[in-house]
Amino acid sequence: MIAVEGVVKRFGTQTVLDGVSLTVAPGEVVTILGSSGSGKSTLIRCINGLERLDGGRITVDGLDVANPRQLAQARRLSATVFQLFNLYPHMTVLRNVTLAPEVVLKRPEPEVAAEARALLASVGLADKADAYPAQLSGGQRQRVGICRALAMNPRYLLLDEVTSALDPEMTAEVLAILGRLASQGTTMLFVTHEVEFARRISTRIVFLDQGRLIVDLPTADFFDPARGLAHPRINQFLSKMTPVGERP
Amino acid sequence: MRFDLTVLLPHLDALLAGVLLTAEVCALGIVGAFALGTGLGLAATTHGWPGRLARFYVDVFRNVPFVVQVFFLYYGLPEVGVYIDAFWTGVMALTLVGGAYASDVVRSGILAIEPGVVEAARVSGLSRLSIFRRIVLPIALRTALQPLGSVFVNLVLSSSILSMITLDEVTGAARGVAAETYRPFEVYAFLLVAYAGLTYAVSLGVGALHRRLNRHLVAGGRA
Amino acid sequence: MRHTGFTVHDGLLLAQGLGVSLGLFAGTFALGLVLGSAAAVVRHFRVPALGAALHAGLELLRNSPVLVQLFLVFFGIPALIHQPLTPVVAAGVTLSANTAAFVYFIAVAGLDAVGRDQVEAARVYGFSRAQLVRHILAPQAAAFALGPLVGLAVNQLQVTSLVSVIGVMDLTKAGDILNLRTLRPFAVWTMVGALYFAAAKGLTLLGHHWERRLRAHAPPLGF
Repeated sequence: MIAVEGVVKRFGTQTVLDGVSLTVAPGEVVTILGSSGSGKSTLIRCINGLERLDGGRITVDGLDVANPRQLAQARRLSATVFQLFNLYPHMTVLRNVTLAPEVVLKRPEPEVAAEARALLASVGLADKADAYPAQLSGGQRQRVGICRALAMNPRYLLLDEVTSALDPEMTAEVLAILGRLASQGTTMLFVTHEVEFARRISTRIVFLDQGRLIVDLPTADFFDPARGLAHPRINQFLSKMTPVGERP
Repeated sequence: MRFDLTVLLPHLDALLAGVLLTAEVCALGIVGAFALGTGLGLAATTHGWPGRLARFYVDVFRNVPFVVQVFFLYYGLPEVGVYIDAFWTGVMALTLVGGAYASDVVRSGILAIEPGVVEAARVSGLSRLSIFRRIVLPIALRTALQPLGSVFVNLVLSSSILSMITLDEVTGAARGVAAETYRPFEVYAFLLVAYAGLTYAVSLGVGALHRRLNRHLVAGGRA
Repeated sequence: MRHTGFTVHDGLLLAQGLGVSLGLFAGTFALGLVLGSAAAVVRHFRVPALGAALHAGLELLRNSPVLVQLFLVFFGIPALIHQPLTPVVAAGVTLSANTAAFVYFIAVAGLDAVGRDQVEAARVYGFSRAQLVRHILAPQAAAFALGPLVGLAVNQLQVTSLVSVIGVMDLTKAGDILNLRTLRPFAVWTMVGALYFAAAKGLTLLGHHWERRLRAHAPPLGF
C-alpha cells in the first residue's frame, strides 16, 4: 500500500502540498484531479522520491521514502510514467525498456529483452524496438514510456499527466493502453485532466485544491450531485474541464 | 628573392621528425585533457567545494597565457625541486590547459541534459554511478563532441608554443630549417598552411563523427 | 656580486610590461575589429572574388598558430621584401590580422542571424547599402556578437604574450628579464601569471558591463 500521511511540501515561501493524506491499496486505480498548480504532479514526485518532504511521511509497502536506503527499495516497487516521456535519447527503444530491469533488478539480458519485446508488441510497437526516441511520434514515445515502467513489474504505476503533451489522436492511443492495464488489475495512481476517462477506470477519485486534498471518494460518489459535485470547487473545475458538447 | 618551396626539400626529414613529435605530444595531451576535462566538467556542475574548486581551476587556466603556464612548469617547478623534461612538460601543459577548456564544454553538455531524463533514471532505481555512466556522460559527450573537437584543434595550435621550451616539435624544427636555409618566408608559409590543413582535417573528422553519433538524437527533437 | 633580490624597480618593470601588453592588445583588437567587420560586410554583400579571397585568407589565419604567423611576418616578410620590420610593427600586423580573422567569423554569424528577410524589407523601403548596414545590420549583429567578442578579447589579450619571442618588451618579456636576474622563476612566473589573470578578469568584467548596457538599448533579435 502507498500511504501518504499529512505531507507538506514548500517551494520557497509557497506551500504546494498542505497536509495531504491519501492511500492507494493494491488493485485500486486512484485518480488525482485538480487544476494546474494544485500540487498533483508534486504529490507524484514526492511519492517516487524526486522531491524532499517538508513535513509528513510517505511509505510504499512500509518503506519510508525519506530514508535513502528504503527509497531505493521503494523505487523497485513503483514505476513512473512522465508527462514529457523522459526517454533516454541516446538509447534504442528496446534499451530504454531493458536498462533498469537489467541494471537495477540484475535480471539476465535475454530474458529481459524477450519480455521487453513482448511488452512493445502489446502496445503496437513491435517494429520500433531498434528505433531511437527522436524517430517516434509523441504517442509512440509515451507508449515506450509505459513499457519502460511496466518492464520493472511494478506493484504501483505512477502516471503523471501522461497525455497532457499529446494531441487527441495520440491521447486516445495511450488511454486505450491504460484502460487495458486498469482492467487487468494494475494498481495505479493517476494524475490527469482526462475527467471522462478517469470516471471510467478509477475506483476512487481525489481532488486537490491549492495543495489541500478536499475530497476523496469512490468514483460513483465523486460524480454524485449530492456528494462530490456538491462541492463548489469541484463543480467549477468540472464545468471548465468538460465544456458541453465537446466531450462524450 | 623568389618564392621557392623546393628549398625545403633537403630538410623534409627534419620537418617530418617535428611533425611526429607534434603528433606524439598532442595525442598524449588530448587524451589527458579529455580525461581531466570530463572529471572537472562533472565536478563543476556540483554545488559543494568540488564544484568551486573545479570552477576556480578553469578560471585560472583560461585566464593565464599558455606561454606563462609553460614557463612556470618548465622553469618554475625545478626551483621547488620538480624536474620534468621538455616533452613531458609539454604533455602536462597541454593536459592542464586543455582540461580547463574541455571541462567547460563537458559542463555545458551536462547542464543541457533535460532534467526529466535523469529523473526517469533516478526513479527507476539506478544508482548515481550508473546514472552518470549510462545516461549523463553519454548524452553530454554527444552534445560536447563538436566543441571538444575545437578545443583539441586549438590544443594542436597551442602546441607550437612548446618550441619555446626547446622542444623540437614541428615549429621548433621549422625554426632550425629557417635558420639553416635563410628562407624563413617559405618555411613559415609552408608551416602555416600545414597547420591549417591539419586542423581542417581534424574538424572535418569530428564533424563526421558528430553527425554519426547524433543522427538519432536530432531527427524530430522533442515532441 | 649579482643582485638577486626583488626591488622596487622590478615592480616598475612589470608594470611597464603590463602597459605594453595592454596597449598592444587595445590597438590590435580595435584594428582587428574594424578589419574583421569590414570583411564580414564584404562577404555579406557577396562581393565576387574579394569575398572569397578574404574568406580563405582569414580561415587560414584562424586555423594556424599565432606563433607561426608571428615568425612569418617578423622573419619571413623581411626576407621577401628585403626590408626589416621592427618587432612592434610585426607584432601589431600579426595580432591585428589574427584578431580580424576571429572577428570576421563572429561578425558573419551575427549578420546571418539578422536574416535576409529584414534586409529585403529594408531594400523595399529604399534604404541604401550604407544605411542598411548602419541602421539595420550593424546594431543587431553587434548585439548578437557581443558575448563572443568579449570571449575573443580575453583570448587575444593572452595571445599578446607571444610577442616577447620576437623581442617586444611586453609583460612576458619583463618576466623573462626579471627571471634572468633573480633566478627565481617560480615566483616570477607566478607573479606574471597573476598579473595576466587580473588583467583578463578586469577585461571580462568590463566586457560584461558593456554587454549589459548595450543589451539594455538594443532590442533582442526576433520580434
